Amino acid sequence: MSSMERADGPPAAAELERLRARVTELERELIEVQARANAAVAAAQERAYWLERWHIDLNALMRKPGAREFRAILRAVRAVARQGRKLKRRLRT
Amino acid sequence: MTSVSVVVPVKDGARYLGELLDALSREGPDEVLVIDSGSADDSVAIAEAAGVRVLEVAPDQFGHGRTRNLGAQSCSGELICFLTQDATPCPGWLEAYREAFTLDPRVGAAYGPHLPRADTSPMIARELAQFFATFAPDGRPHVQRAGDASFLSNVNACYARACWQEIRFRDVAYAEDQAFGVDLLAAGWTKVYHPGAAVLHAHDYGPLEFMRRYFDEYRGLRETTGHIEPLRLGGVLGLVGADLRWMSAQGLPPGQRARWTARSLAHHTGRRIAAPVGSRAGRLPGPLRRGLSLEGRGDGTAPPATGEVPSGTPVRPWGGRKEDYMEAAMVRAQGATPLLDPVPGMADAERLRIAMILPPFRRGSGGHNTLLQILTRLERRGHVCSVWVHDVMRMHQSEWPGVLRWNLREFFAPISSPVYKGFDAWQGADVAIATGWQTVYPTLLLDQCRARVYVVNDHEPDFYPASVERVLAEDTYRQGLHCIAASPWLRDLLIERYGASADAFRLGVEHDTYQPRPIARREDTVIYYARQGTPRRAVPVALAALRELYERRPDTRIILFGDPTPLETAFPYEHLGVCSPEQLSWLYSQATVGLCLSLTNFSLMPKEMLACGLPCVELAGVSAESIFGTDGPLELAELDPFALADALVRLLDHPALRERRSLAGIEFVASHTWEHATDEVEAGLRAALALREQAWV
Repeated sequence: MSSMERADGPPAAAELERLRARVTELERELIEVQARANAAVAAAQERAYWLERWHIDLNALMRKPGAREFRAILRAVRAVARQGRKLKRRLRT
Repeated sequence: MTSVSVVVPVKDGARYLGELLDALSREGPDEVLVIDSGSADDSVAIAEAAGVRVLEVAPDQFGHGRTRNLGAQSCSGELICFLTQDATPCPGWLEAYREAFTLDPRVGAAYGPHLPRADTSPMIARELAQFFATFAPDGRPHVQRAGDASFLSNVNACYARACWQEIRFRDVAYAEDQAFGVDLLAAGWTKVYHPGAAVLHAHDYGPLEFMRRYFDEYRGLRETTGHIEPLRLGGVLGLVGADLRWMSAQGLPPGQRARWTARSLAHHTGRRIAAPVGSRAGRLPGPLRRGLSLEGRGDGTAPPATGEVPSGTPVRPWGGRKEDYMEAAMVRAQGATPLLDPVPGMADAERLRIAMILPPFRRGSGGHNTLLQILTRLERRGHVCSVWVHDVMRMHQSEWPGVLRWNLREFFAPISSPVYKGFDAWQGADVAIATGWQTVYPTLLLDQCRARVYVVNDHEPDFYPASVERVLAEDTYRQGLHCIAASPWLRDLLIERYGASADAFRLGVEHDTYQPRPIARREDTVIYYARQGTPRRAVPVALAALRELYERRPDTRIILFGDPTPLETAFPYEHLGVCSPEQLSWLYSQATVGLCLSLTNFSLMPKEMLACGLPCVELAGVSAESIFGTDGPLELAELDPFALADALVRLLDHPALRERRSLAGIEFVASHTWEHATDEVEAGLRAALALREQAWV
């Protein structure tokens, strides 16, 4: 065994082992992240099927003038309807 | 003073021609030329009575562009005016044109407004007034240059001879004036809109005729300027409202307003439908195009005029399939995108990131079914998979990724992976899988890959005659991708002919579906998978064999399936069309003999027949023989009608032979499952990663 091997051999092997373990860990993380991302995209595609089928881009739709106001009106109408239903139930009981 | 000639193309234009020529005599041009293209009414007599020169051309020689070129050639004025037969110049028309050409040194053309006649419908009158007002909001003549509107209308236009000589009208069936407007501005000429150069003119038709006219107009616009009218039904009510306001301003009584409002609604709705259809007329069948056209325009322009050098029709860029070939060209020019460095032990990793690149698909595609059956099983084994559709033929142009995913799940297998269209969201993969020859080149250009694999379902160069597609398909096997072939025969072919590295997998059978069903097997029924649109299925020879069979055994019941359209044959048969797997399994369980031929790699169908206990006839000397052996479950015959008929008769006449083949078939395919196919493909993916690692070391 040369003096060089004696000096660098064991630490270099340990460093190599440590790096390999780190690569394995990073690989595992990558797989996990990718799996989660794929699942999220697939779920979104599943949910958005009918919108996509009819070529409805909700983001583009909401950018149109008046879209926010229309949504606010709808929310208000829905809130009033809910309150009305709640009141009806209370009166019945 | 600048000399002026007026050219009026005419066909059956007697209604307004006299009025038009009277107006011209008042305006006083130097020359009037009427070009008649086969009028059946008094047009020619009216023109001759007015003392103007008449040029007659055969109706089939008429073309909006070429006939006007002929008119310009046949007259001598420095300015050449064109009027349609129903456009009557208003007083001051000619002076306005003379003035227009003094407004700029490069004026090549001028045009004026079309004023409605007294009986013009309100929506047309309103549209004309508002449209032309946009060119001169201040009521004064305007010079238009490059970048301004290119609109020009030969209903009422005037051209400088020098400009016409330089540009000339394109020999197009419609919208030659619009094309001239574009060409004129592009060549550095200017044009002038002069409100004083007005004519009385308006087309009035019924709603249906208007639709057909708009079909023609927008078809012409697409052909000459490339304009594509979008499909949108919104805004019709706004236009009807504008018509109502116009009628109100004109003082129309309420009864008339109500009547015209209904017409207005029909008119604008019809336009919204007809215009986009006209823009896309090229996609319609020829007879339908002709039927929809008000002018009865068929597929092309009229035949070339005699004695004139034919001029081509300029076609602007549209469609095109450049990406099919550009990716291949890029790979040839600069090579594949380098792979990522291998990670030690990656071939044995428990979970792999797998990206499958698919070509466009249709319901019933056997290749896609194979790929997605395997992908679903790879998903279940924990691999992180994604699907990338390379829409090379733009078959899925109008479909968004969520719809593609839904269809893949419905047509083939219930994948849980996300589906992407194109590679904009490409995220890298341990293994990128090319799956058809068109997908190989884009796969080679993808980055962040550790390995690339090519799942080869068939020897695709055999799908093409001598062609670019054939050459490119052959080259895919020489790109260094590790191949996983759908049979040992195909694997050997890839290795021997192309020097590829290759593994093989055996197509699986869905045994839950394809199994002997509880139904009595008939003694007289031959079923044939007759896909006429697939040349590798050897349909002509098979039909000749079935005819021979029918002549020898007229009582044989023959059933053809697999093609939606009944085939023309010299023997009687029952047509089943395209059947579901469930229906097929019952059919295979009842029939006596199956016939399914493949001139390339054997397909899944013989295996599915065998799984249902149906003995079948296949071609000898091709792939099936190497899979099933010469005396296994299949009755093999040469590619010859008489040999195939002999094989069918052998099976029909010998129940013992049928029984032997049937039992051998069931036994043979019992181990052929999709799980097993997935094992083999997964092994191939890992082999590709291992090869990569070995090459690195």
